[in-house]
Amino acid sequence: MLEVSTLAAGYLGQKVVDGIDLAVRPGEAVAIIGSNGAGKTTLFRAIAGLLRPMAGRVMLDGRDVTRWPAQRVAQAGVAYVPAERHLFGGMTVKTNLTLGAYPRRPDRETLESVFEIFPVLRERLQQRAVTLSGGEQQMLAVARALMGRPRLLMLDEPSTGLAPKLAKDAFDALVGLKGTGVTLLVAEQQVPLALSVADRGYVLENGRITMEGTPHELDQNPEVRRAYLGVG
Amino acid sequence: MKAVILDGIVLGLGFGLLGVGMTLVYGLGGVLNLAYGEVAVLAAIVVAQAMAGGIPTALAAVIGVLAAASTGLLLDLTLMRPVYRQSGGNKVLLGLLLTLGVAFVIEGVLTWRDPLGALSINVAGKPISILGVPLAVGSVWASVIALAAAAALLVFFGATIFGRAVRSVIQDELGARLVGISPALVRAVIFALSGGLAGLVAVTQSMTAPLTVNAGFNLTVTALIVSVVGGLGSVAGAFLAGVLLGIVDSVSAYYIGRYITSIVLLGAAVLTILVWPRGLLGGGQG
Ligand SMILES: Nc1ncnc2c1ncn2[C@@H]1O[C@H](COP(=O)(O)OP(=O)(O)OP(=O)(O)O)[C@@H](O)[C@H]1O
Ligand SMILES: [Mg+2]
Repeated sequence: MLEVSTLAAGYLGQKVVDGIDLAVRPGEAVAIIGSNGAGKTTLFRAIAGLLRPMAGRVMLDGRDVTRWPAQRVAQAGVAYVPAERHLFGGMTVKTNLTLGAYPRRPDRETLESVFEIFPVLRERLQQRAVTLSGGEQQMLAVARALMGRPRLLMLDEPSTGLAPKLAKDAFDALVGLKGTGVTLLVAEQQVPLALSVADRGYVLENGRITMEGTPHELDQNPEVRRAYLGVG
Repeated sequence: MKAVILDGIVLGLGFGLLGVGMTLVYGLGGVLNLAYGEVAVLAAIVVAQAMAGGIPTALAAVIGVLAAASTGLLLDLTLMRPVYRQSGGNKVLLGLLLTLGVAFVIEGVLTWRDPLGALSINVAGKPISILGVPLAVGSVWASVIALAAAAALLVFFGATIFGRAVRSVIQDELGARLVGISPALVRAVIFALSGGLAGLVAVTQSMTAPLTVNAGFNLTVTALIVSVVGGLGSVAGAFLAGVLLGIVDSVSAYYIGRYITSIVLLGAAVLTILVWPRGLLGGGQG
């Protein structure tokens, strides 16, 4: 579904990520793990079209989307939820969800399936997004992304700003999503959480992918254990 | 007193219509369009010339509105492009300078080609009595058009997907792109709409008094004041502010004198910024 090859991206002529090769197959959940500043967000922005890649290619279902602007990538079925969420704060939960379906009108069925995953949102429909709690905002961000019936959902640090219990809940919701046929790409610093939802994971270090494997393989890897799991 | 207030409301609906085109562009792209009033004057001269050429008034008005809308679209697609690429203070400054330049060019060309140009649309008929106050037919028509435009805009922004998309770009441009909305498309549509509204203002204002070729600056300043008081990017805010300011204008003209109204209106804008920085309904909610 998503194929990234020899991708390089960064800021002001400086490459932050370089030589990235990764692939996500339909229905898969893939985690990108890496410490602060490793380049996870930069990689996501480049895939989502918010940052123009300096080299390499991004293919979506066999189509080259490398230089597409973010809005076009979004319409092609990639929903990117940044860590800062970028909700429409002054608008109601309902309008945020409605806009998630742009340019179509939201359909009942999708809305119901979203409420099934995030039941609180149903009770908050008329509330303005800024007035939601951090956890509810994160749910709304994911819900808004789901309203567009994306084929690929990219989540950057879905646990940001959430208490450990809420972060756990958020990831449980992601496990629920996996059953619905959405393909997931998640960047997360909290490695145990990330590995709990993923079918496969990549380790990103200093802008390069240094390892790839199943959660079990990564979990057993001495490097990963020392660097990210505080074991060793 | 009743007559003074009613006059104020009539004036204010015109203010609202004037302000709404300015506030939308400002809310969307952070551009204060200083050429806004000149676009209205351009439309007025187009309508006047079309009428002089024997075209029926209604058709001439439509041509004028379309000419103004095209001017707005053209501005967006050309001069405004580099402005959108800037951010912060640079964006505001570049926007001000470029639109000021456009204002000078339009005003220069119009006063050179047609120094005595003016648009005056006479709506025949006896004054209509509203709440016991006789109002000129032209004023009634102008108010009805302004109200109809306000209703159409509110429906557009409140009930259509594209209208909500426009508001989403005002609130969070990046968020809008993430759900698949093209800010460039939204801005082009709004710039064209804003131009068209300027054209409509030219038509309605000329129903109550002649709109002369040198009216541009005043129109721009009034639009600016209405936008500030109404709040960034808010349609309802612009009309609310327009009506309030219209009443303030008409009351202060009646009790103090016409000379004082510009200062009172400017004072209202300053006061709004000081005590209510987001304006009456600011922030893209309305
Ligand atoms: N807008 C920017 N301009 C310049 N440099 C940037 C910008 N954004 C990020 N960087 C730099 O790029 C590098 C990678 O940042 P990035 O945000 O991609 O890391 P990350 O893996 O997402 O980190 P975190 O886990 O802390 O979110 C960092 O060194 C950062 O300073
Ligand atoms: Mg990050």
